[in-house]
Parts: sequence; C-alpha cells; structure tokens
Amino acid sequence: MGIKADFRKRYYRDKNDKKKGVEAAFTLDAQFEVGDELVVFFGRSGSGKTTALQCISGLLEPNGGKIVVNGDVYFDCHKRINLPVQKRSLGYVFQSYALFPHMDVKKNIAYGLKGWNEKDKEERVDEMLQMLEIKGLENNFPSQLSGGQKQRVALARALAPKPSILLLDEPFSALDRVVRMKLREKIKEIQRELKIPVLFITHNHVEAFTIADKIVIFHDGRVQQIGTSEDVFYHPKNEHVAELVGLTNIFEDSMLVDEDEMAGTITIGCEHMKVTANRPDCDIKEKISWGIRPENMRILPLTDKNSSEENTFPALVKSIVNKGSSKVLALSVKEHSKLLIAEIGNQSFENMDIKTEDECLIRIERDRIVLF
Amino acid sequence: MLDQIGFPLIITLKIAGLSTLIVAITGMIISYILARRDFKGKWLADVLVTLPLVLPPTVTGYLLVVLLGKNGVLGSILYSLTGWSIVFTWQAAVIAAFVVSLPLMVKTTTAAIEAVDREYEYAAFTLGRKELDTALFITLPLAKKGILAGIVLSFARAVGEFGATLMFAGNIPGRTNTMSISIYSAFQAGNNDLANMLVVILIVMSLLSMAITAKIINDWKI
Repeated sequence: MGIKADFRKRYYRDKNDKKKGVEAAFTLDAQFEVGDELVVFFGRSGSGKTTALQCISGLLEPNGGKIVVNGDVYFDCHKRINLPVQKRSLGYVFQSYALFPHMDVKKNIAYGLKGWNEKDKEERVDEMLQMLEIKGLENNFPSQLSGGQKQRVALARALAPKPSILLLDEPFSALDRVVRMKLREKIKEIQRELKIPVLFITHNHVEAFTIADKIVIFHDGRVQQIGTSEDVFYHPKNEHVAELVGLTNIFEDSMLVDEDEMAGTITIGCEHMKVTANRPDCDIKEKISWGIRPENMRILPLTDKNSSEENTFPALVKSIVNKGSSKVLALSVKEHSKLLIAEIGNQSFENMDIKTEDECLIRIERDRIVLF
Repeated sequence: MLDQIGFPLIITLKIAGLSTLIVAITGMIISYILARRDFKGKWLADVLVTLPLVLPPTVTGYLLVVLLGKNGVLGSILYSLTGWSIVFTWQAAVIAAFVVSLPLMVKTTTAAIEAVDREYEYAAFTLGRKELDTALFITLPLAKKGILAGIVLSFARAVGEFGATLMFAGNIPGRTNTMSISIYSAFQAGNNDLANMLVVILIVMSLLSMAITAKIINDWKI
C-alpha cells in the first residue's frame, strides 16, 4: 500500500519565536508518495531526512499536513488526528542502535511483544534470531556485542512485533565496509520477504544507489527529486541533486552558444571554455546547467596527437590526492576560474608520470555530460 | 544505658527508614516529571522542592509548625476533624526528615534521569510501550545508580536530621528523641559516655551504609 506524505515541520531558534511571529530557523516541507518498496531518504546532514522519519514515526509532531501509511491515517492536521507512536505499528532502527543496555539480546528482542503468550514470544524471538543470523547470542548483553551484531539485534527487535513499516535512521554509519555490504543485502532480502515499506536514511551515495528501489532526495528541507537510482543518478533535476549524486564538476547558468541539429549536439559557453554536449530531447533554454563526474574526465599528455579534439583543454595540475585505487586531481584550465576535479586509475596515472604543477590536457567526455 | 541507646536507635531507624521510603517514591515521581516534562511553572516547582536544602533547618521546622501545628493552616483542620495534632509525635519527625531529605533525592535522581539517553525511551515507544511502562522498565532501571545514591543521601540526611525535628517533633524521651537529638541532650547533661556511644554507633552506621552502597554500585555493570 505504501506511504502518502505531505507535511511540514518548523523548528525555531527559541521556543518563544513562534509566538512572536519570528520566522522558523528550519522548515521541512516533505511531499512524497512511495509504495511497498525500499525507499532511501538521501541528502546531506541537516537536510531534513531524520526530521521526516521522526514525523512519520510519531516521535515528532508535524505543524501541518497529512501522513497516510498503508491506508491508516497517522497524522492529519485538519482532522486533528495524531496517532500516538505506540499505535503506528512500526519498526524503528536508530543510528545508535538504542539497544537496552540492561537487557540481554533475548529480552531486547522480546520487548516489543507485550501481550503475546510466552510460547509465541519464545517462537518469535527464535525466528528473529534465525532470520538475522544471531543465534547463540541471545544471552549476551549489548556491551558484549560487536557493531554488526548490535545492528542485527536492533533489526530483530524492530521486526519482532511484525511492523507494517520499517524505518532505519542511518543504520550502518558506524560499521565497516564489509559488514555494511552484508547488512545491505540483508535489508533488501527482508524487504522482499515482508513486502512492507522500508524507509532507509543515508548520506552515503554508494549505499543509496546499491540498496534503493526508490530514492527521495532531500536538500534544505525540501524534497528535490523522487525516482529510481538510475533516474536520479543519470538525470538529476537540479544542481543540488547533481552534487549529491557525485557530479563534483558543476557549471550553473552556462550560456547556450550553438545548436547543431544535424549532429545532435549543442555548444555551451562556460567562461572561456566551449563545451560540446549531446542535444537533450527536451526544449533547450538559453541558460544551461551541466555537470560531469570526476571519473568521466580524461587526462592526456600535452603532446597527445588528438589535442584538437572536441572538449579538450590544456590544464595545470594543482593537486593530486591518492584515493588508494585511484588518484584525484584538481586541475585549473587556462582563464577559467573554477578548478576541475578528475579521477583516474592508478595504471593510467603511472603511465603518464605527472606531478603537481605539470601541464596536461583534459578531455570532458561528451557522452557523459549531464544537463539539468 | 542500654535503654538510653536502644530507643533512640530504633526510633531513628524507624523515622529515617519510613521517611526514606516515602522520599524514594515521591522523589522518583517528581524527578521524572522535572526531567522529562515541560510545563508552566516548572522553575517554581523546582525552587519549592529545593528550598529546604538552602533554608536553615530551624526555619523549615518553624514553617512546618506554622503549617501543620494545632493552630496551623492545615494542622487546625486536622485537629478539628480528629482532635489529634501531629506536633511532638514521631510522625512529625518523619515529616521533618521527609522535607529536608527530599531535595537531595530529587536533585540526584533528576540528574540521573536526565542523563539517560532519550533514544532508549523512543525505542520503547516505537515498540508499542506506553510512557509509564517505559519509565518503570527502561528509564528508572537505567538511572538506578543515581537513584540509589539519592536514597542513601536521603537516608543519611534523615538519620542526621536535627533542627527541623527539634522544632516540629520536639525532644520527648521515649517518643521523639532520635539519635542526633539524644547526642545533643547527653552532651548538654554532661553524660559524655552516652554521647560517645551514640556517636560511635552513628559513625559505624554511616560507614556501613557507604560501604554497602559502593559495593552495590560497583557490582552493577550498567
């Protein structure tokens, strides 16, 4: 059935500001509709993701609007409905896990099973231990568990009462890469099995794109774009989304210089650079914003024979950062104020033998340019 | 001599024990409300509870007489209804001990509850548990070290209570002569042997309660 949400939440610097009519310091304006799928709330810290999740859970009361989950009205400002958090039938996994430190794993998992008879409770706890692969840990206290185990217990506890919606607030932020990957798969598996809406907050874009059926992008308290990973990744709606999905090189308000309908290309003037991009299907505006990912920039030696090819510019290497499997270069193009960031593999980097303050050529791959 | 020690010891334990029991229960309720609720006049409630901590005990005792004495604001109503006045009874000593030790319980327990991460409570709410249930099984158990410290401090304060008790419950041998009051009386009467004995017993009691508390807190992992 999914979630239909359209609500607002305002935060004031001082609790008397609201009465005095002072403008809110932060306003979340969330509008989205998602189904029984794995939905990732993606955005920077302070963009409103957690606030949105807390409003859906009932831990925060919105200032206006409506939230409907699986056909049940959780909140309706006009009808003065605000279902208490206890009655929302939800599973919530906190960033800090929030496992009760004075209870062992078994008691933590069984805590949400109030009213169940002892036999059913035992069976359900056992089922959860098996599902999350934590059998054998039932008598351990949270302080005796590793980060990954704590996360599994937190998931088991949230899922034990058979919730109709699962909310996860940056659940993997404190875990190492290997554990993260395993748990991501587990969450996907759980969602497929239970077929309930799962809302998952993250600010890690790799995590967002590997796990999501749908992504809701938040920026500055507003939902910027909703779509599949591919939609958001390849067709960002604006510069905020573009930046979030890894288009580090963003050029806002560049001028359209030329249009070649035969070749299906357009030329964009960006300070002293003239860049050729594929012509978009939609109408073209005078001012165009565009971006390119660092990994889609090519670095060539100054002596390269194809130096006059399209989108190729001489540049100066300003810095080189080793990322382990690749190198990230900051480059300045002549008479262009903005530094461009390029990422190249270790092998190509070694072949070229370039150092800081060396001159080289950069090529912006036309097919990889993203217009928005 | 045994009588002169036995009665004060028993009445002190009875008064301090009963007052501490009431202080523990009311203190936890007040502390939870102060730590977890926002309401108009919260600062006033806080000031009123804390006041006996800063007031001279004789002033507290005097105010208790004015409030609960035979001619007092509430005491006169009690007297006209039952023909009984609480002043100069062991119950009066319990009230005096309660009033002076409550701030210690409330201050310690409020701080302990405030230190409990709210996410534990939110987690309990999302698991369908009501606030009372959560307070009893999550918040208070997680604040138990602070609560125990508050109880021990309150008990010690009740055992040592002198000024307010003397004003409100008097020094009636065989009725309200607690250990602290008996030490003063023995000293005034020049009975140093009795005073010494009572002092030693009080010191041993204090050391024992401190040691037991430290052991319990050490044994608690959380």
